[in-house]
Amino acid sequence: MAGYELLSEQNLRLDGRKADELRRIQCKLGVFGQADGSAYLEQGNTKVLAAVYGPHEIYRHGAGGASRPTLTATSNEQAVINCQYSAAVFSSGERKRRPRGDRKSQEMSMHLRQTFQAAIKTELYPRSQIDIYVEILQADGGNYCACVNAATLALIDAGIPMKDYVCACTASLMNDRPVVDINNLESTTGGPELTVAVMAKSGEIVLLEMSQRFHVDHLEKVMDLAMEGCQNIYHILDKEVRAHVSKRGSLLGWEAT
Amino acid sequence: MGSSEMRFVLPGMRICAQEDHYQSGCGTYVLHGYVYASLAGVLQIQPVMKGPISENPSQTSTQDLVSVEVHSPGEQTVIPAVGDVVTAKVMSVNPRFAKLSILCVRESVLVQPFRGLVRKEDVRATEKDRVEMYKSFRPGDVILARVLSLGEASSGYLLTTAENELGVVIARSETAGVKMVPVSWVEMQCPKTYNKEFRKIAKVIPENLADMAVDVKVLNT
Repeated sequence: MAGYELLSEQNLRLDGRKADELRRIQCKLGVFGQADGSAYLEQGNTKVLAAVYGPHEIYRHGAGGASRPTLTATSNEQAVINCQYSAAVFSSGERKRRPRGDRKSQEMSMHLRQTFQAAIKTELYPRSQIDIYVEILQADGGNYCACVNAATLALIDAGIPMKDYVCACTASLMNDRPVVDINNLESTTGGPELTVAVMAKSGEIVLLEMSQRFHVDHLEKVMDLAMEGCQNIYHILDKEVRAHVSKRGSLLGWEAT
Repeated sequence: MGSSEMRFVLPGMRICAQEDHYQSGCGTYVLHGYVYASLAGVLQIQPVMKGPISENPSQTSTQDLVSVEVHSPGEQTVIPAVGDVVTAKVMSVNPRFAKLSILCVRESVLVQPFRGLVRKEDVRATEKDRVEMYKSFRPGDVILARVLSLGEASSGYLLTTAENELGVVIARSETAGVKMVPVSWVEMQCPKTYNKEFRKIAKVIPENLADMAVDVKVLNT
């Protein structure tokens, strides 16, 4: 494994975390005035901004790179979700040529759209559109997860009805031991990466992705750890949302309880 | 569970079991027999007044139907729904229809306008074939209309003004540009030039008489 010892004998990883330890998550809701909802999230060194607009009338002129569903008969019954993932040119170690529109970003946009299509109560807003824009400011592994978590916060901030929180987390396998929330170094030099997005309360899996295969015997423990990571992330997000809602509520004269 | 007791709820949080007298209101949804929150905000439990009365008035009075709602801070996201009275501005008129920009839905002002359309046959309830669009609306008029259907994707919502209470509320005269006053069902007069212009006038009911006048209040402020 490229000379690195990703998981030491003492069960510590390269960045000093334990195998089942998440990176530090810091988040903030309502960071933009212009957007209907917005959030900033840091997961270790991965930093993401998310902005949500809508629901509004469906626009069809398009900027490149957005995962834009074609207008079908379904748009008459439910809202159209439009996601755009972009990674700032300075986000990764090597300067990117274009922030969005490449295959990787398009795939990410599509995954985000599918994830939130499942979580947002789209049937409440027929013939309208909800835009979710996420921007990676610094990429250090688990980009999809950070995007999902930030977008969830932004959607809550926007007051868009959702069935549940969507939380995402990665897990990997090192020396046949599962590790959670892997960073860029671990994902590039290490083993397989399993990404899972779940509805936090109900535990329904919205998205599951594996970067490479590993033995099925390991699947269960890796999955369990990823799910546990999602639950931990949920508690962190939940705490932040509570603080934000009670703060905004107190401005409106609600008594905080 | 009065409204004095503030309780925060978050999306996906189970509020209560769905029983006969609990109704899932705005900001909530029902899954597997329970009511869940879909917004982050405060829980409100309000008695239901409208709706079930028409079905069985004797039953509702005894059963005390309540609606479980979640209200988030900030403005609610609203979109026009079929049957809503909306306030719209006329953008363009042609012999077959008028294009509108919907500004308010019931009492809430939209953040972004939605497009709408009133067809010639939906302007008046009577003498539909004698309606002339240019004698009903002019660009710039502010009208009250009811949503008929979602219409086509290209034109937006399909609206109607075929009720006495619906039609032009605010119009400015062509020559002087001042607000005109209605003088009949079909005419408005300019207070400056005494010119009369044709419109499909809305009979605006005073505020204390009907809820609908809330739309007008929004316009006047």
